[in-house]
Amino acid sequence: MAALVETTGLALHFPAPRSLGEALRGQRPMVRAVDHVDLSIARGESVGLLGESGCGKTSTGRLLLDLVRPTAGTVTFDGKNLRALDKAGSRAFRRRAQLVFQNPFDALNPRFTIARCLAEPLVNTGVPKAEHESRIAKALERVRLPALARFESTYPHELSGGQLQRVVLARALVLEPEFIVADEPVSMLDVSVRAGILNVLREVRDGMGLAALYISHDVALVRYLCARVMVMYLGIIVEDGPTADVVRQPLHPYTKALVQAVPVPRVDQSRAPLPITGNVPDARNPPSGCRFRDRCPAAMARCAEEIPALRDVGDGRRVACHLV
Amino acid sequence: MALLEIADLRVSYRTRRGNVRAVDGASFEVPEGAVVGLVGESGCGKTTMARAITGVMPGSASVESGSITFAGRDLLRLSARDYAALRWREFAFVPQSAMNSLDPVHRVGAQIAEVLVQRGGLGSAAARARAGELFDLVGIDAKRLVDYPHQFSGGMRQRVAIALALALSPKLVIADEPVTALDVIVQRQVLDVIRDLQQRLRLSMIMVTHDISVVAYVCDRIVVMYAGEVVETGSTADVLARPAHPYTMGLTNAFPDLERSGGVLTPIDGNPPDLLSPPPGCRFAPRCPFALDACRAEAPPLREAGAGQMAACWRIDEVEALREAARWSETWQRL
Repeated sequence: MAALVETTGLALHFPAPRSLGEALRGQRPMVRAVDHVDLSIARGESVGLLGESGCGKTSTGRLLLDLVRPTAGTVTFDGKNLRALDKAGSRAFRRRAQLVFQNPFDALNPRFTIARCLAEPLVNTGVPKAEHESRIAKALERVRLPALARFESTYPHELSGGQLQRVVLARALVLEPEFIVADEPVSMLDVSVRAGILNVLREVRDGMGLAALYISHDVALVRYLCARVMVMYLGIIVEDGPTADVVRQPLHPYTKALVQAVPVPRVDQSRAPLPITGNVPDARNPPSGCRFRDRCPAAMARCAEEIPALRDVGDGRRVACHLV
Repeated sequence: MALLEIADLRVSYRTRRGNVRAVDGASFEVPEGAVVGLVGESGCGKTTMARAITGVMPGSASVESGSITFAGRDLLRLSARDYAALRWREFAFVPQSAMNSLDPVHRVGAQIAEVLVQRGGLGSAAARARAGELFDLVGIDAKRLVDYPHQFSGGMRQRVAIALALALSPKLVIADEPVTALDVIVQRQVLDVIRDLQQRLRLSMIMVTHDISVVAYVCDRIVVMYAGEVVETGSTADVLARPAHPYTMGLTNAFPDLERSGGVLTPIDGNPPDLLSPPPGCRFAPRCPFALDACRAEAPPLREAGAGQMAACWRIDEVEALREAARWSETWQRL
């Protein structure tokens, strides 16, 4: 399968907030939010990007959409380097790749009707007016929100959270993109409503042949939506592989702890202590060598000296660990 | 006798659009030494219920009727002073966001000592020693008592909030979404602290949460709320394995289970009712695939649904058949 989105050596470093002492000493600490990320997403493939807050997963999504300039490395989309696109190419990319926002309650302009919210991307990209109605109707059908007529005079505050999230998704789909990045697409919704959105996302995936990156902290959600998952820890990808295999038999020690920590809605579940200690270290000063080593139950001398590369270990899996 | 008994509680908020009854005729109990999970979705009244027990509510809220009996005394009949005397000593509260409940400009040790001195009557040396013990209890190095709240990570802050709640050895701890804002590994670590403390100190607890897997992990009993009412209660094992109320059945269908994947999640169509004008009869009826005319006419009372299990459903006698039907996605598709 040819990759639609591909990165090599992708990195994003931010200047960190400085303490007074650091400012006086003229120091400029950097946060390495994303470091040496090599990933690829095939046409039509749904990939989950899993990690805890601050691990760099949202930054990675923004890099893939060219919303921020990488510190190092490249992102290519359909074979073309995003940083080398001309104006027309860049405009085309903005049409072909879309972002689905996390919080449906503030992703839509409260003073626009729903119909106008949905028409806006079409207007901005110069789609002929005659096509608007049919495009919007199609997008609404995809997210299972029929009856366009109703939305001509409906404002965002009149809709429920679940309906709003469908509108937000429809707005991303109205341009018929080839790739979407959905950042925590259901984290703001209640359980009974969330299941409906997850099912719509599954239908969209199957029906449109869309490539998608789902950014989430929720292992169960990624398991439900994505055939493949990448696990991030402190700015690097530590594991990548088919979701079912990664969940059943995680290889990286961090993934093991992460999967074991997920509670399930049944009384009979493992309550064994997690194979992990401490907290996520300061991203300004990650440990040398493997960034997970100070929390890893199996760390050895080599882990402090040598950064483990994300290596192919067969069966479509990659792991960044000296032990595997 | 149960440590805490809530009977027919009604709490309402005054709003510009009228009175909203956030908790409407709710009853449940917390047996001594039990952990009770209070679950439901946004706006179901679970936080209002927890707040009503502590007696700390915004000015727009008022308890209209009912009783909250704690160790044999009706809290609602106490004077403000007597109520205040029970806080911290008899029951204590752990908020969702410890960052907002700790004072950012004081060292956490001083904040814990303040409670011990002001409420517990300890001398300052004894308070310092006790604060160290409390940190030990929740698994934080006592050296960190001199740190400020912002120097703690989210999970550590939540442990500080738990230590603070335990300062005067209360019998009952009420925790409102204590792990919701935390990452999954940290969440698990804090849940393990809670489980361990509860067992060691034989605490009684109410844990407010929207997450039934958190309830499954730590709670002995579960109270399911919907639109201000208690719709089902029972042991966590029974209710999750054999739900008796259609709402609980729907909730378990909609909840992903990492270890049993492959199935399809089934949403519950529609939304909870507007509490300014709740529907007559059963409040879940508009979303319930099993609703009959009778359900829309009159609200069902909580009735026995098995040993120690209660549910508020008119069709409780057919619960086996309903549970079987509820397994199928088709049952829940738009009526």
